[in-house]
Amino acid sequence: MKKLPSIRFTFLPARTGVLAAVLALTGCGKQEIQAQPTRVAVPPAPAAAPATPAVPTLPPPPKGDYVENFDTTYNNITVQRDGTRVELRARSRRGEFYESVVDVADPTKLILQYSRTVYAAAFFQPEPKRALIIGLGGAGIHRLFAQAYPDALLQTVELDPMVLALCQSRLEFKPTAKTPVAIMDGRMFVKRDTNKYDWILLDAFRGGYVPAHLKTEEFLRECAARLNDHGVFINNLHEGTELFYADIKTMQKVFAQVVLFNPPDSGNVMAFGVTYQTPAITDPAKWPDPEVVGKRLFASVDLAAIKTEHIPIPKEAAAAQVITDDFNPAELLNIIKTNNEAKGR
Amino acid sequence: MALLLFYPLVIVLGILSMGFQMLASRLINPHFGSTIVEWSWLITTFLTAFSVGSVLGGWVSSQPATRRGGWQVAIAVTGVVSLAVTAFFSKRMLDAIELHFIPDVAQMNDQGGAGMNAAVLLSCLALFFVPVTALSSFGPQCVGWLAARGTAPGKASGVVYGVSTLGNIAGVMLTTFVLIPHFPLSQLMRGWLAVATVSLAALIVLLRPAAGKISPS
Repeated sequence: MKKLPSIRFTFLPARTGVLAAVLALTGCGKQEIQAQPTRVAVPPAPAAAPATPAVPTLPPPPKGDYVENFDTTYNNITVQRDGTRVELRARSRRGEFYESVVDVADPTKLILQYSRTVYAAAFFQPEPKRALIIGLGGAGIHRLFAQAYPDALLQTVELDPMVLALCQSRLEFKPTAKTPVAIMDGRMFVKRDTNKYDWILLDAFRGGYVPAHLKTEEFLRECAARLNDHGVFINNLHEGTELFYADIKTMQKVFAQVVLFNPPDSGNVMAFGVTYQTPAITDPAKWPDPEVVGKRLFASVDLAAIKTEHIPIPKEAAAAQVITDDFNPAELLNIIKTNNEAKGR
Repeated sequence: MALLLFYPLVIVLGILSMGFQMLASRLINPHFGSTIVEWSWLITTFLTAFSVGSVLGGWVSSQPATRRGGWQVAIAVTGVVSLAVTAFFSKRMLDAIELHFIPDVAQMNDQGGAGMNAAVLLSCLALFFVPVTALSSFGPQCVGWLAARGTAPGKASGVVYGVSTLGNIAGVMLTTFVLIPHFPLSQLMRGWLAVATVSLAALIVLLRPAAGKISPS
């Protein structure tokens, strides 16, 4: 099986513009599931949160192992089950990308390396009471979070209702009062939400891309404004293009401290940002003991090993362009390849 | 000689119209997201403006030559002023609309909600409808001008709309692949305003009926 970068998705990228919108509106594409609006069996959400979203109803999954394709409003998704392992993959013009891989028999098992690295957030905020994930994916991160922090709330915002439907019907994700899912644009949610969070994870990929309006300094500031005093913002980045450096530079513009982790063999770099200057978080020697902050986590998340994934800020980021709402060349930067050997690390 | 100016102006009008749609999406994305709802209202607004502009331009073409120039100036000034409003005040207007229709997250559930639809529609109408209508109204007048110079009406219509559509294509591609990646949106909007002002002024001068060739009436 070919190696796939591990990513998530949600949005229609603006660069595809009119054509993509027309295709989406006219429903052109392959097999399409005829969806009937219904209500998800989720307990009432807090007053400040959006009401329960309507999601499509899907037929039951086939018996045994299977491969299914779904054309949704925003994505082309493949679901593949092999034993207890279920993959959710999204297609983009560069091929097919992992959105999530879960073992439905063991909710604490994280298969994709980047999803384990997300939990490095415990170094900076070891006791999250409220977390926000922008981009549902296959809800792999959610299962472990719910087990590790049973008293915490994990709010998710996802654009594509079919992704939620697939998570419920194929990946056995059951939203609860502690893991509510809102169906809407991530930026709209962050801008209007009045809650504060200890962890905010931006993981809103569609195929290989994050929508341009979720890349800007203004959006990151909106996220930073939703962080508690010692909260941490986590950004799932891809290395290999100029956009990577621009993403880091943009994060540095917004967050007082930025720390990077490079999960092995993944193509991902997880960027962690905090709004405070002290205490310093950029020196791994000063991080808390992995065994202490990781005591709530399970065997699949080895924080001591994840600590070794720490990498310095690449020197190219210093000369990179800050992405703003006014000047947003994200799509162009995402197709300009970089020389990985020239990162100075 | 006039034709050497005429066709470039028709192309520029096409570029301004459809390139503006790409800029429009960038203007409203930070406020209403990049969803199918936003795109559907955006496309609807532009197509409605093309439609209304064509009807308006056809009506202006049918006016007596003595009154036609006045209508042309009025429409062009309206288009330029509305484009200036979009160029300089769009963020403030979008902020106000967003806050009015979607004051909190509880009212945002489901992208097709009434508040979201109303907010996006009002934003599109306020910022994009009038300038695009004004630009589009010059298409039929260009057809009338070409027909008045002896080109068969059907041929004149085909040529003008063919050339204009080439401008539309150029506008989308140029804006998407060259302008947005290299220039701030605020600069591009001011550039749009400047180019629209100059090209509409040139078009009004060009479309003036020549002495002794006044038609139709």
